[in-house]
Order: sequence, then C-alpha cells, then structure tokens
Amino acid sequence: MTSYRLGAPADGSGNGLNRAHPLTFTFDGRSYKGFEGDTLASALLANDQMLMGRSFKYHRPRGPVTAGSSEPNALMTIGTGARGEPNVRATVAELYEGLTAVSQNRWPSLSTDFGAVNGLFGPLLGAGFYYKTFMWPAMFWEKIYEPLIRKAAGLGKLAMQADPDRYEKAWAHCDLLVIGSGPAGLMAALAAGRAGARVIIADEGFQLGGSLLSESVSVGGVSAADFARSTVEELTSLANVTLMPRTTIFGWYDDMVFGAVERVQKHVGTPSPDLPMERLWRIAAKRAILASGAEERPLVFGGNDKPGVMTASAMRTYLNRYSVSAGTKVAVFTNGGSGYRTAADLSASGVTVSAIIDARAQSSDVVPEGVRVIRSGAVVDTKGRLRLDGLIAERSGFQEQIECDALAMAGGWSPVVHLMCQRGAKPVWSDDAQAFMAPDVGAAFIAAGSAAGCDTIAACLKDGAEKGAALCLALGFSSYAANIPEVEGDYDPAFAPLWYVPGAKDKAFVDFQNDVHVSDLGIAQREGFGHIEHTKRYTTAGMATDQGKLGNVNTIGIVAGMRGVSPAEIGTTTFRPFYTPVSFGALAGTSRGEHAAPVRTSPLHDWAKKNGATFVEAGLWHRSAWFAREGEKGWRDSVDREVLNVRHNAGLCDVSTLGKIEIFGTGAAEFLNRVYSNAFLKLPVGKARYGLMLREDGMIFDDGTTSRLAENHYVMTTTTAYAGEVMAHLEFASQTFWPELDVRFVSATDQWAQMSLAGPKARAIMSRVVEDDISDAAFPYLAAKTVTLRGGLKARLFRISFSGELAYELAVPAGYGEAVADAIMEAGRDEGICAYGVEALNVLRVEKGFITHSEIDGRTTADDLGYGKMMGMNKPDFIGKRLSSRFGLTAADRAQLVGLKPIEADKEFKAGAHLLKEGASPSMASDQGWVSSVCHSPTLGHMIGLAMLKSGRERYGEKILVWDGLRGSEVVAEVCSPVFVDPDNRKLQG
Amino acid sequence: MSLALFHRHVLEDHLSGFEANANPNHLSVVRRPAIFSVLAHRGQGAAVRTALSSVADTHIRDCGPEEWLLVSRTSGAAAVETGVAEIAGASHVDQSDGRVLIEIHGPSVRRILARCVALDLHSDVFVIGASTNALCCHVAVNLARTGDDRFEIVAPRSFAGSLFEELMEMGREFALTASFSRD
Repeated sequence: MTSYRLGAPADGSGNGLNRAHPLTFTFDGRSYKGFEGDTLASALLANDQMLMGRSFKYHRPRGPVTAGSSEPNALMTIGTGARGEPNVRATVAELYEGLTAVSQNRWPSLSTDFGAVNGLFGPLLGAGFYYKTFMWPAMFWEKIYEPLIRKAAGLGKLAMQADPDRYEKAWAHCDLLVIGSGPAGLMAALAAGRAGARVIIADEGFQLGGSLLSESVSVGGVSAADFARSTVEELTSLANVTLMPRTTIFGWYDDMVFGAVERVQKHVGTPSPDLPMERLWRIAAKRAILASGAEERPLVFGGNDKPGVMTASAMRTYLNRYSVSAGTKVAVFTNGGSGYRTAADLSASGVTVSAIIDARAQSSDVVPEGVRVIRSGAVVDTKGRLRLDGLIAERSGFQEQIECDALAMAGGWSPVVHLMCQRGAKPVWSDDAQAFMAPDVGAAFIAAGSAAGCDTIAACLKDGAEKGAALCLALGFSSYAANIPEVEGDYDPAFAPLWYVPGAKDKAFVDFQNDVHVSDLGIAQREGFGHIEHTKRYTTAGMATDQGKLGNVNTIGIVAGMRGVSPAEIGTTTFRPFYTPVSFGALAGTSRGEHAAPVRTSPLHDWAKKNGATFVEAGLWHRSAWFAREGEKGWRDSVDREVLNVRHNAGLCDVSTLGKIEIFGTGAAEFLNRVYSNAFLKLPVGKARYGLMLREDGMIFDDGTTSRLAENHYVMTTTTAYAGEVMAHLEFASQTFWPELDVRFVSATDQWAQMSLAGPKARAIMSRVVEDDISDAAFPYLAAKTVTLRGGLKARLFRISFSGELAYELAVPAGYGEAVADAIMEAGRDEGICAYGVEALNVLRVEKGFITHSEIDGRTTADDLGYGKMMGMNKPDFIGKRLSSRFGLTAADRAQLVGLKPIEADKEFKAGAHLLKEGASPSMASDQGWVSSVCHSPTLGHMIGLAMLKSGRERYGEKILVWDGLRGSEVVAEVCSPVFVDPDNRKLQG
Repeated sequence: MSLALFHRHVLEDHLSGFEANANPNHLSVVRRPAIFSVLAHRGQGAAVRTALSSVADTHIRDCGPEEWLLVSRTSGAAAVETGVAEIAGASHVDQSDGRVLIEIHGPSVRRILARCVALDLHSDVFVIGASTNALCCHVAVNLARTGDDRFEIVAPRSFAGSLFEELMEMGREFALTASFSRD
C-alpha cells in the first residue's frame, strides 16, 4: 500500500469529507469506496490508485500532479453511453454514488498500454516531428498520416449519441463579482455584502473556501476550514449576496460581462429532467475582484512525470482536505517554503518524510523534527514504472538514491491572472515575485489576494477585505471595516527561482499534458521558432485542455534561460477564453433542435395546415409552400394544379408574412417621396402604388406597395425577407436625414391576416364576403380602402396582384384570419377555388416577369430590371438618386432582365446557371449573364426562366447557351421578353 | 349572407385542454386584451404622455422615444380606441390582434425571467410600473413589472407559440403552470 486514507482525526481535519456518507464508484470496471466531499482523484488515491492516465504522445503512466482545475494528467471519461464525458479532470470531479469513470488513451489497459512503445521512438518524436517526417508523398498526409497520428495520440473519445440532458443560459447582475472563494475572495465578499452591495461570489469548486480548505493554519482561533464555513454561513444569510459554488468564471467580455458555467447536476447520479445539466451565466458586474489564487509550479527535472510526483500544495490538499496521504514515505523537492510546509503537515499526520531536497543553499524555513534536509540538492532521476519507487538526488556531483513512494515538488508560485488578460492586456513580469503579475486593466476589475501577489493567508485576508470595501465605497456604499482575523501557524512561501534541473537522465517534462520536455523547447529555439507564440505552436507546449496552466511559466522561464534573457523579454502567449473547457451543450443552452431559432407562424398557419399545406422555412417564418391533394405524386403536381386553377378560376394565398408598416404624419407624403425612387407625393387617398426603394448606392433595396388610407396615414408593405431592414431604413432616414419631417411609423405586420384572392373569378367570390361595392368601377385596379365584411368585421381591401390575374388582398385582424379564409374558401367552392402556396405564387410571378429578391440581389438597378421609368429623376431628391447616374450604372452593356425559354421544350435549366454565346468557351470574359429564377410553367407547358443578360433587351430572339458547370448541364435557350403571360395586362385590369 | 366569424387566440392549441390548477409560479395569457401603439408627433411627446394616463382602464408601456403601448386587460379595443383617438398630436394603431399579453408571476418569477431577458430585474432597478422593450428568448417584446413578483410581456403574435414554449421550458425547474387568464 502506498497512497492511503488516514483515520478520522479527533481534531476534525480531513475537514472536507463527510465520513458518515460513504459512496461507491467504479474506475475501469473496478468498484471503490469514497466519501461525500471527495473528488474522484482523492477517492482513487485513498484506494491506492495513483495511476490515472496515459500521456498524450508517449503513453507514459501518469498520476495526478495537482488537486485542482489545472490538472494535466488525471483526465478520464466519466459516465456511460450518451452521458459519457471525456477529458474530465478527476481532480475537480465531485464524487457521487454510482459514478463510473474510465481511463483514456490506452490499450488494452491502463497498466499495460501498447502505445507506450512510442516512448522507445522518443528521439524521433520530438517537437515538429510530423512536419519533418510525414512530408511525402503529399497526398498521404490527409488520408493516412494524420488519421494515424490522431488515432495513436490523443485524449478521450466523444460519445456519438445525442446528449440527453438539458442546458440553459441565464443572466445575473451585481455590484461586485468576486471570482474565487479563498481567503481573499471570502473577505472581499463579506466586506461588500455587509456594506449592502449586491454581491456574487463564484468558485469553480464544489465547496467554498478555496485554499482555506487545504491549509493547516488557524484563522480567528478556529481551523481555516471552519473559518471558511462560518464566513460562508454569514454570506448565505445576507439577502444581497449570491453564492455560486461549482461555477467557473471562464471569460471576461465587453462592458464587464463575465461568462460563467455552473455545473448544476454534474455531481448527481440520476439527473432531474427538470434541471439543466449545466447552466451558462452571463454576469454583468459593475465591479469585479479576481481572487483566483496562485498556482504552484512544478519543478522540471528528469522523470518528473512519474505517478506519485505532484506539487507540494496538491499533496497538502489531499492530506488536509481529503485525509489522503500520497504515500507512506514521501520525499520533498523544493525551492521555497511550500515544500517545508508539506513536510511538516505530513510529519504531523504521521507520514514518514524521507528527505527534503532544497535547491537553495540555505533558508530559514522550519524543518520538521527528524527530517533530513539536503541543501543545494536536486532530483535528477526517478525510479519506478507505474508509480514512483525512489529517486536519485544529487549534491555537488554526488548522487544518492532516496527511498520514497511519493514526491512533493514546490517550484514557486504563479498568480492565476488568466481572466484579466483575456482582453488584450499582458501579464507583467515581476523580478521580485519571480512571477507574471496581473496587469492594470482599470479600476473596475482588480486582483486581490495571492492572485495579486500576496504571499501569506493573513495578507490575502487583509487584501480581500480592503479591496472589497474600497470598490463598494467607489460605488457609493458606505465603507465597512471588516474585522481581519488573526492567522496562526502560517508559513513563509517565499522561493528562489529554479526553472530547470540540469543533469536529467530521463525526460524532464515542462508540459505534462502534451508530453513536451525540455529538449523540445531546445529544438524550437534551434530551428527558428524562438518567439514564445512560435515555440508554443511548434512544440505544443501550452495547448489542449489545460492550456498550459501548469507548464507555461516554466516554459517561459526555461526559454529565457536558453536565450540568456529575463522572462520579461520572452513574455507570455495570448490568453483567451475559456479559462477551463466549456461544453458545447452549455454554450448552446436551449437553442438546439426545434428550439435553435424562434419560429414565426402566420395567422393563417392553422388554416393552411388543415388545407394540407407543406411548409417551407423562409427566414424564421414557416410559410405554406403547396397544398397537396390526393393522387398527386409530388410537389410539381400540386404546384401545376394550383397555378392553372388560379389562371382559370381562383386561388387563395397567405401573404400575411409581408412586412406592414403604418406611417403617419403631415410629412409622410414627402417622406415616402424621398425613400421611394418613384413619385409618391400625389398618391390619392384610397389608392395603392407599387414602389421601388433604392440603396444609397443606386441599387434596388426593396419593393412593395404603399397605400394611402387617409390624408396623413399610409400603410406600406415590404417583402417578407426585408421587413425588418426596411423598418430600420425608415427609422434611420427619419432620425438622421430628415428629422424636420413630421412622420412616425410602427410595424403592424402581426396585426393582420392578409390573403390574396387571385383569378378571373376573384371578384365574384370576394363580393360574397365583402359588403362594399367592389365592381371595377367602384373598386378599380390599385384601389385600397377599409371595407366591411358581411357580418360587420372591418377589414382592409387592396386591389393589387402579384400573379397578373384579377386579384385582391384582404387584411383582417389576425385572430379572425382563419375564420375569414374559411369563409372565402366556402364562398368560392362553386367557382373551384383552391388554396395556393408560395411555390405557385412564384410560378405565377415568373410567368408575369415580376421580380423578387432573386432579381433584387444587390447588384441590379431599376433600369436593369426594366423599371427605368420608376426613376423619378425630376424629383428634387430621393435615396439613391445621386449615385444612380454614375458611370457604370448607366452603361449600355449592363445585364438586363430578360426571359428565357428552352429551344427544345423538354429541356430544363436551373437558377444560378450562366449565359454564354453559342460556341463560346466558359470564362469570366465570355460570361454574358446569369439565370436568376426558373420554374416549370404549366400555362406554357415548358420551363421558363428570368435572367440577367448583357444588353438583354436588345437581344430578344437570340439563341444563348445556358451553361451550368456546377451541375453539369448545357441547354440552348431563346432570349425573350420576361413577361410570358398576358403581356398587355388585360387580366389584371379585368 | 352574413358571416359568423370566430376569433381564435394564437395560443389556443397550446393552452386549451392542458390547463391545470395554477402553481405558485404561473403564467396566464389574456384572451382579448386591448393593445394600441401610440406615437406622438413632433413636439407633442409630453402632452400625449399626460393625456394617455387619463384613458380609463389602461396601462402605459414605454416602447421608445415618444412611443408607447397602451394596454388594457378589461376594456375592449373599441373603447380604448375611442379614448386614444381623442388625444391631439398622436397617431395610434390597433395592435390588439398583433400582440399577445402574457402575465407571469410567482416567487421564482425573477429567476425564470433571468433565463429569458438580459435585463437587471432587481426591484431597485426595474421598479413596479417600469416597462421597456427587450429581447426575451430571442423575441422582441415589451416587458413591464406590475408587482413585486409579477411581470407582463407583450409579444408579437407570430412569435407567440415559440415564446410560450420557451418560457415554459425556462419555468420547468420552478413548476411553472399556464392557462388563459380567468379575469
């Protein structure tokens, strides 16, 4: 037995555990016992399972090197099936009853891993090996080399089933966000909470208290852990303080918004279906304190990755918080006070400390009684295979073997400043602290405690209290002087830098997770990848799940040593969110599957559904596409029938999705006259007019009809797709171009169910529904007015057409839409009315040569599309007028809208195809234009198309090649007028 | 021929037949509210705002510069329109069919809404009577606080189904129930 659980001490230490609540879990199929309050790592160590993983490249046996979120080695897959989550750090995974963990990146088992053969090829697998080795043949890289490398190296594997759990996102707001709940964080939260500020204190751990849970000091006369507990109790009692355990603040974003992920049910064996698995928080804070503590650096010496070698502070955490000793005989390798403290705590718990190897010649640290100290010493090699079994210490050239089964390494401290550096500020090297310190990012976000370089617990308590109070004072809360408790039994964690121990016999790892060792860093320097960002990419130091939390500072220190400069000159790589990995589930929240985007339904949705509609997504809208009837074999059958029925009888189509904007004011006429290219000033009351809106650059922006309902009241319709854009465009024009015009507008799109009744029998049907006289004389083409339906309902009726047929658009309050549509269908039954969808609508408009955003594609002018007469160049001004006259927009060879029909009637072509002169080879130079819309015309019995063709209007009758390189077809077509049906508009006026 | 036209609420299929006894956290949908957009013309903002407060049985919701929603749960649209039409210097649009009025209340209402809107709804910040346009579950709505634990959402009809389902999803943890309003 090597690592083991200590008995329950009388003084209550091992204070994170609830021994009254034992838990059963499995690792690699074997059953183990732990306690509530354990992490998976502490429970495994308690069961003498030091071996927890295999390394990325060489498949070396690895154990935990930390007791926290920076863990590079102890990565496991927790859970099974769809709930299996790879790369979970066992050091932070909260133990629960029934937890199932499996080791990763090994075959066939963790203790016998064939992949370890990679270690033999170590000399070939150094930094950049794959760039050099797998050069040829080039095609092998993608097909063979890369898949092979990815298979051999790597981390855990994703579950391929859909995630069964819920996730959600939420917002929180506070005066002060405290990140971290160690001594500084707790005191900051307490000071601010007592002052009355709204405080959120978040900690990635499942117990609040941070390092207080791991240290054997007394604070305010009680154990540090008890002090943490009582402080948390007081904070909990304050209504203005929100405590968020299990919550990692992972990012700092604009306007003091912090991203956080709360693990709501990661520690629950049977998750509740009513709770999310994880919750993503956006926390908007007026002020924030970074009290994230400091990370203890490993030492870089030969064989420093053996299971059983861990940081001194991790060993103390396992001992003091979880009552687990990492070994029966522990050696300590240190360059500062932390190693001595670990030795003292182990000694006090009855664990044998075989030696303290201190890299320094002297120090004033207190040596535990009976423990041997080797000063000016170093560890140069370690023994053992699957776990540490002795080490070789060297002093002045003399080497001796020291017996041990665990080794604590203390390499100094690095403040955890990640969050503060995510928005461009770089951490600042301090020669005094021999560490990178938090940058100054302004008064709203400051570091406190050991994140700010405080070295003792007493200093952290004081710093947190003072900074919490100061920030609240700045926010206008009365200052509250917190009692700063006395600390007894603290130690001095000062250290002397030691970046690298020379004389290593085995690999000396800098980045454990990526198997980067010192000689890799040397290769990078030698081969021209000296900049720290290049070194990172070339060697992979600082990549993958831990992003170099543990190794980066050592990497920088060693590279500085190799180049003979200060770490300040090397600098750090760029810090980016996320601090620790965040699941895609949390980032997606509820926005998945059908909830990926909100759905918009028309007031006639249910009417369409009961009439057999198939729906199509158009932006967020679900629009009825066609209405299949029995016996129809496909959508074309339905669409052809609907089109012919509209041409011969009548059809009813839902056009509620068009944007509808109500416009008011004495300046409305002038306003419209300026936003449309054509004249609107003299539109009579009771009339609708088709209008074109241009962009400032002269291209068409949108089209639609606007009707004058009263002297100073208009209703504008826009296309479905551009409803929002047009509204914003109007707002912009009103607020910035012409604030002097009295005009106000508001969207009323959702208020109206609007339906188009089209076809030669439309009037007969509509007159059965509307009380008013709608004869051609009383209600001619382009009439628009409020009418009364039989039964009394007020509605708006417009005589406008997008099909070329006699047509009306009827708008009724949305809640009546279904009833009115039913009534029209009933009224038209004897006339053979049918419902038609947007597919038929499209065929009807292509047959008439009407345009949509397929033609208004941002590249076309009014004249290009045959609407040159709608350019009111006599008007003083309108949006787009000035730039419409520029050279290029008036060139004779611009592409113009034409119609296309295949020479052989059974041939088909598709939108997107290009036009070539017959016999020309396809090239940019020979390109004559493109096809914008196509359909099968049931009226004509063959395919027709609308196209943009150079000087097209002069080329009617010409044969042209419709070349579709993408889909591999070539069809000869005749250029013709874009109006295929009723060119004289007789039906429209009927 | 006279048409008998039935009015149908957009959330009919979401609510009818699923109604259970209201839990402490409850969402209710008002069947036929009167909702009007009111826009003040140039220089008339203050006068219109004052005049609006005297339209009987209505509540004013802030929407933007010199633009409001006038909402009534009890008066019909015709009655409210009569009142609004008398206000000089303003234009109005009946939105009673274009918007749905949802009330959500209960001890966990702020926790539910924290999953829906980005705004700080603390009672010191978003006081009773406050209202604003806001994005709620990706939908542009008007949100008002009508009590300590009581809010009203005015949402576009076309998004109502989607928004309703999303609100209920966010309320799942808090056993949120829903029904048409009984008043």
